[in-house]
Amino acid sequence: MNAQSSVTTAAIEIRGLCKRFGRFTAVNNVNIVVPKGAFLVLVGPSGCGKSTLLRMLAGLEGPSEGEIRFMGRTMSSGAGGVIADAGARDAGLVFQSYALWPHMTVAQNIEFPLKVARWPRQRRAERVAEVLRLLDITALAGRYPAEISGGQQQRTAIARTLAPQPSILLFDEPLSNLDAKLRVEMRAELMRIHRATGATSVYVTHDQVEAMTMASHVAVLNEGRVEQFGPPIELLRHPQTTFVATFLGTPPANLLPVVRRGASLVLGDVSIAPASVAGELTEARLLYRPQQVAIGRVDGRPVLPARFAEAAPIAGQTMVTAMVGDLRVTGIADGYFTAEPGAPLELSLIGDPDAVFATNGERLAR
Amino acid sequence: MTSLSVPMPRRSRWLRSGVLMPAFLLALVSLLVIAPLGRILFATLTPEGMDAWTAVLASRLSENLFWKPLLNTMLLGLGVATGCLLIGGFLAWLVVLTDVPGRNLLNLMSTLPYMIPSFAAALAWGTLFRNARLGGSLGFFEANGIPIPDWLAWGLVPTLIVLIAHYYSLAYTIIAAALSSVGADLVEAGQMAGAKRARIFFSIILPVVTPALVAASSLTFAGAVSNFAAPALLGLPVRMQTLSTRLFGMIETGQNERGYVIALLLIAVSASLLFLSDRLVSGRRAFTTVTGKGGRTKRFALGPWRWPLFAVAFLLGCLTTVVPVLVLAASSLAPQSGALFSNWTLHFWIGEGGGQIAQGQAGLFRNPVLLEALWTTLRLGLVVAFTTMLLGLALAWVIVQRKGTLIANLLSQIAFLPLLVPSIAFAAAYIALFGAPIGPLPSLYGTFALLVLAATAHTLPFAVQSGRSVLGQVSADLDESARLTGAGIFTRMAFIIFPLAVRGLMAGAILVFVKMVRDLSLVVLLFSASSPVLSMVAYRYASEGFMQFANAITLLILVMCLGASVAAHLLQTRVQKWKQP
Repeated sequence: MNAQSSVTTAAIEIRGLCKRFGRFTAVNNVNIVVPKGAFLVLVGPSGCGKSTLLRMLAGLEGPSEGEIRFMGRTMSSGAGGVIADAGARDAGLVFQSYALWPHMTVAQNIEFPLKVARWPRQRRAERVAEVLRLLDITALAGRYPAEISGGQQQRTAIARTLAPQPSILLFDEPLSNLDAKLRVEMRAELMRIHRATGATSVYVTHDQVEAMTMASHVAVLNEGRVEQFGPPIELLRHPQTTFVATFLGTPPANLLPVVRRGASLVLGDVSIAPASVAGELTEARLLYRPQQVAIGRVDGRPVLPARFAEAAPIAGQTMVTAMVGDLRVTGIADGYFTAEPGAPLELSLIGDPDAVFATNGERLAR
Repeated sequence: MTSLSVPMPRRSRWLRSGVLMPAFLLALVSLLVIAPLGRILFATLTPEGMDAWTAVLASRLSENLFWKPLLNTMLLGLGVATGCLLIGGFLAWLVVLTDVPGRNLLNLMSTLPYMIPSFAAALAWGTLFRNARLGGSLGFFEANGIPIPDWLAWGLVPTLIVLIAHYYSLAYTIIAAALSSVGADLVEAGQMAGAKRARIFFSIILPVVTPALVAASSLTFAGAVSNFAAPALLGLPVRMQTLSTRLFGMIETGQNERGYVIALLLIAVSASLLFLSDRLVSGRRAFTTVTGKGGRTKRFALGPWRWPLFAVAFLLGCLTTVVPVLVLAASSLAPQSGALFSNWTLHFWIGEGGGQIAQGQAGLFRNPVLLEALWTTLRLGLVVAFTTMLLGLALAWVIVQRKGTLIANLLSQIAFLPLLVPSIAFAAAYIALFGAPIGPLPSLYGTFALLVLAATAHTLPFAVQSGRSVLGQVSADLDESARLTGAGIFTRMAFIIFPLAVRGLMAGAILVFVKMVRDLSLVVLLFSASSPVLSMVAYRYASEGFMQFANAITLLILVMCLGASVAAHLLQTRVQKWKQP
């Protein structure tokens, strides 16, 4: 009974979703459930299947297998072949290219979906004026897409998607065509809009900073599969795979490949941790956060000899990257720090490894 | 150390700064384009010219001289533009926007008809549909007992059909290019808005490709009103005149002034429409396309209509490419027009004279006039290809280098002027200028040189365009990065500029060659009867009723054109390996 009620309250429910193009599997057995009002971010490297997943949510592609439900209503079902039309899903999509119709003005672009939905003229005009105000583009209403800047085109595309008040908003890498400053601005703007509309949002990006700052839920995708799904802090603190551990977090976490020698795990000749942390494994990857790597010798802690590579100051500290053999290791130095590239350096590992992974990338339960 | 810069004499720097080259080019294009057009205009302002204006526009003769031909011309123009828009648009929609099977094949079949000269289609039509009205040998259908009414054998209807069969592929090319630029995102955004297929087509796709539709209809209209071969072969025998056949008749019978007047009126008809359509679409900010990411196009599922629509498109393609060629080939082998597929003989190609067939005439390859015409045609094609590309490259270079200056604007405007002038009217202008001796220079009428001049001038718009695209291949930074390695001008020419430009130049030259080999309307007025080109010989045989000879020559022209087109296609797509996706 309980399970039943949780299904009906889920805004988006994805069950066993697969998409194959010929022999290539773009999306492989994806299961995601998010509640109403959630901001779900699909993040992963290019080619991981996140855009295909989004297009299936939008109804532009049918699944090969599995099911998509919005508010408990089945939208796509690979098994039953039920596919609700893209326009009949109460969902809106913001395209990466914006996809503004070049022959319509900003206002006409926004009005078109309302016309299709047969809104009366008076309500259309009011709604267009409202979203123009919401996106702060009232002054551009009479312009054509070719006559406004990239950032303004972006706002127009969002306004067009919001106009018919969809209960689900889909975003396909909407900020990737903007310059860095505009991107930060629009990020805040999107958060504001999300709060204002209360619509459940699905947002595709390859930028983990966007994922971390905007999401209520994050799904990390890799090669068509969900590597891990959960709230962003949970993913950051308890990564379940080496892929998630290295993909999320700024600066990226370090994974040290170690082998068992006697009673300890060693990297090169340096004994790093007792063998017991890796259970029965003879080989493992140890996760150390940058803040667990100190620059210089710390007595009583394992010390790795390294060569300096680069340094970047962050908020009064310095993020130092050094090479341990072929391995890039990042640590934090207090204050400002710099050295000649290639200069010898000692890195100390403070504290125990944050997580232990098997060589196949999976986390060791502890 | 001496100073690094070598001071240059003032005068040579002035020369070097490139005033000489633009000035020379300006003088040349003025001579090639402005002078003939000015001359033909002034020739009609003399007392005889004024008489000709009256005769053409306001006399007892004018109905036959001008108004009826004008009506026919406009009917042809409008009919062809409409037909081409419908057929070309249908095929483009099918190939670009749907999941029809065999899309590559349909695409190829839809682009080919433009490579086949319009007189080939006209001759093939005659071979099949000719009826007994004019005597002479019958067409295939009537000889086999299927009566063909006059309206289907001669005059407006067959001319219209033949011209549509020729020009629809031009419309197809333009519309297909526009449709494939409509990104899938634009269509999917419409789907997300809930719009159904018809709504998406009429509210999104159609408005976005409107400029292409306008361009396609105005270009096919201009092509149809300027065409000479089809109305001459199918209309003239029953006295159906268009402006271009009228113009030809006037000049041929020595009524030059009247011919010039009609030429000017023909230019006015063709140019005003092109001008209007240009005004209609250019400057409309609504039509500036916003290029999105990726060239993905959305293909609609046709469902059960896939194969029926494929069959329709395939049939259209066959009727306009394979069938005319087959008919011409069979006819050039068959002694009797009623039995196209029996008693085949190579007589019309290589037979000796004096026999029963072809009134004792020898086969084509034994006919000295024809062999000379073949040689003249090849020579003309090659020479014009060379002069055109050379001049086009030089013009494009100056226009690009001095972008925005008065001289660049002037050069590009003048170079694009011939686009507005139908080639037969252009030929008339050349007769007006060079038909009589100019000072000590002899009359050039009927000479090879005159044809080279006229042809070069008339292909200038194409030449400048391809010159610009060739120069676009060699961007300034490619050359500059070579310069920074210390390479001198000759090294750069040999290893950077030439390899990058040569293919574009070759491809452009081949297309000019094809244009020349299959052209009839420009050469028909300018070449004398004694040293003709192939297309003229074919036209003459056809008007004398020797259909097999005409068809055989046309086939020869076709083979040359298709061979060259294939070569150009290979050059453009295969050889530039670095362009493979």
